[in-house]
Amino acid sequence: MNRTRSTRWLALLATASLIVAACGDDDDDTAAGTEAPAGSETPATDAAAATDAAAATDARAATDAPATTAGAEPPAPTNAPPVTVGSGTGEGGTLRLWLNGTDTPDAVVEYAVAEFNELHPDVRVQLERQQWTGLVERLTTSLSGNEAPDIVEFGNTQAQAFEAAGAVVDLTDKAEELGADDFLQSLAEAGTYNGQLYAVPYYAGARIMIYNKALFEASGIEVPTTLEEMIAAGEQLKADNADVPNFSGIYLPGRNWHAVLSLIWENGGEIATQEGDEWVGQLDSPESIAGLEMFKDLFDRANAAPADADDSNDYLAFCAGEVGMMPAPGWKPGQILNEDDGCPEMEADIGVFAMPGAAAGMTSPVLLGGSNIAIPTNSANPELAYDLLRIMISPGYQQLMAENSLIPAIKSELDSVSGSDAAVAQATAAENSRFVPTSEFWAGVEAANILPDMLVQIAGGGDVAEAAAQADAAIEDILNNS
Amino acid sequence: MAVATPTTPIEVRPTTVDAGGRRRPSALPYALLLPSVAVLVIMLGYPLVRLVTLALQEYGLRQVFGQPAPWVGLDNFRTILGEDYFWTVLWRTLAFCFANVALTMVLGVLVALLLQALGRGMRVVVSTSLIVAWGMPALTATIIWQWMFDTEYGLVNWALGRQGESWLADQLTFFMVATIIVVWMGIPFVAFTVYAALTQIPVDIVEAARLDGAGARDVFRHVALPALKPILLILTSLSIIWDFRVFTQVYVLQKAGGVTRDTNLLGVYAYQISIGQNRFDIGAAVAVVMVAITIILTLVYLRAMVRTDEEL
Repeated sequence: MNRTRSTRWLALLATASLIVAACGDDDDDTAAGTEAPAGSETPATDAAAATDAAAATDARAATDAPATTAGAEPPAPTNAPPVTVGSGTGEGGTLRLWLNGTDTPDAVVEYAVAEFNELHPDVRVQLERQQWTGLVERLTTSLSGNEAPDIVEFGNTQAQAFEAAGAVVDLTDKAEELGADDFLQSLAEAGTYNGQLYAVPYYAGARIMIYNKALFEASGIEVPTTLEEMIAAGEQLKADNADVPNFSGIYLPGRNWHAVLSLIWENGGEIATQEGDEWVGQLDSPESIAGLEMFKDLFDRANAAPADADDSNDYLAFCAGEVGMMPAPGWKPGQILNEDDGCPEMEADIGVFAMPGAAAGMTSPVLLGGSNIAIPTNSANPELAYDLLRIMISPGYQQLMAENSLIPAIKSELDSVSGSDAAVAQATAAENSRFVPTSEFWAGVEAANILPDMLVQIAGGGDVAEAAAQADAAIEDILNNS
Repeated sequence: MAVATPTTPIEVRPTTVDAGGRRRPSALPYALLLPSVAVLVIMLGYPLVRLVTLALQEYGLRQVFGQPAPWVGLDNFRTILGEDYFWTVLWRTLAFCFANVALTMVLGVLVALLLQALGRGMRVVVSTSLIVAWGMPALTATIIWQWMFDTEYGLVNWALGRQGESWLADQLTFFMVATIIVVWMGIPFVAFTVYAALTQIPVDIVEAARLDGAGARDVFRHVALPALKPILLILTSLSIIWDFRVFTQVYVLQKAGGVTRDTNLLGVYAYQISIGQNRFDIGAAVAVVMVAITIILTLVYLRAMVRTDEEL
């Protein structure tokens, strides 16, 4: 024990600094985004998640952002190794194409590359499929470095931030050549920043109503033609099936803000509007309040789903016969019928319709999900990339997308949508579609869960006006970047 | 990383003892230390410096894509410190941290005493269960607990015969579930360490105390506790650090239900600002505040530890 007091303190300081450094290191990870916690705002399932429980959580993440991918199939593969597509020899260079999930079928990509190779037989095209999960973080890193791919796909609510940051090439000069007049309006808005076109619409998806035909028949209910009829039908279904525990005439858990937006919009409300340079929250306007009260009414009368759940378990409830109808993305029937934990035997019972409006013969506005594609500023081959991008927005390519149950990004091909009933209902719904505020900061509103928070409060019996005002303030904070 | 920390003073000791004058000073120990110090500086020092730099700049997505990052001095700190919500989250985080540490320590010590009292067979069973709980990744554990508390399909609602009870919707029950997970994962480390320390208490001292008429409680208070004090202090300070920056549990539970605004803790809040809103600068400022608080908390405990050390 001949250590002096000061050396002991020195050792302690060293220890303290190590502890703090260890702690600080992690904090920095958090700040700089190298840490990727489970399930970020972007959707899709991590096929590598082995356990059911883990897969279920990823599926939760999936439903968090159908705004970005509403048209997509739910399961995305793990990050697949790059695949060479087409006949390019590679002497003229390699073009790297990033597409997300399995939304774009291989056959469609092959078509585009075949066309491209007719122009550039010496260029090899390499397809790299990315997971939706964690996409924003991956885009941030890859687009800012010199390993940037040549074409990337964004979820439509993600695009604005990258356009504002100057991460992708300005395509305004080429707008006419690309056929911008024919673009789906809300996707074009997502691809435009400060009046300049950066990201070209790629495909869209919209929410529809899925219903159980057998239960409708048993209760003698027809497909509703107005919102009020729909809620009444839900109430009746709930009463007729009172012996089934947890039965929802309309399954609408509190955090399903994508669906509730339709009610807000149909009542004339808005999330936020731009006045000059300022975003002003509109959730506490009388119109929006009417929509939110309609949600509360629906929630109390027709629903049995939890106030604080999202819609990631809705297919399980549907399969258990606990659901009369529910709002869902267009790919939901596929999830209901999946062989793992779905119910393929219910195929004949699944019906779809577009959510009706306040008046008969109309539909309610839906949040349009979808994707945009763009050329990174750091692309090594922007001219070649442009030639491929042009093919991907061409009528021929978009027609193929439509034939694969996706809503095409150009209006002239909307009639080509074929395949499932769901695809057709989606296309009908998409004709009356709306979008979240087009701000580069919108992603922050989603990350802070402002809308789900508000709905959970309302569903739990909180004061509607108060919850709406609180959400407005939070949204204004983020959109105005204050 | 932090697990290795308690051993550090021991690593330092040989050098100081050697340099104490009894032996000829030698450069060799320092040379041997150099590689690990270099690694620490690079791996831990650089991120910390980067973090502080970020907090003093304006740094958003635009800066990630190459635009210059202007220096803004302490503006980012002014922004967060001037926000009522930040203080709400800060106090909430501290309250959560201390509640969890207290529970972890008390239950951990109790389990350690249990381990000591158990026979060989049961001790193996209990140790194995502890190791399983400890070895489970935080993410997996959280998902499993969250499923047990699920509103519709959860085991807890089923066992209690309640239908549709949303445990995560209410702030208090949300933190109850989070506390269960954090404490559950924190107990094994405390239990094992304390148990190991307990086995080091000389049996004859305990026997002597017993002969003097001390009951189990007296033996614990007057024999075991003083011997355990240094290790308890270290465990407490480590637990404080871990529970103060808890992330996974809260993040996953927020995704599963509950009101995000009412359940944010500092770690999750910093992540939301940085990654969700791309305000890396403000997020970094929050993180720096976290680091500062951690330093203060750690120093308080280390000081107490030095005192104990000197008393021995």
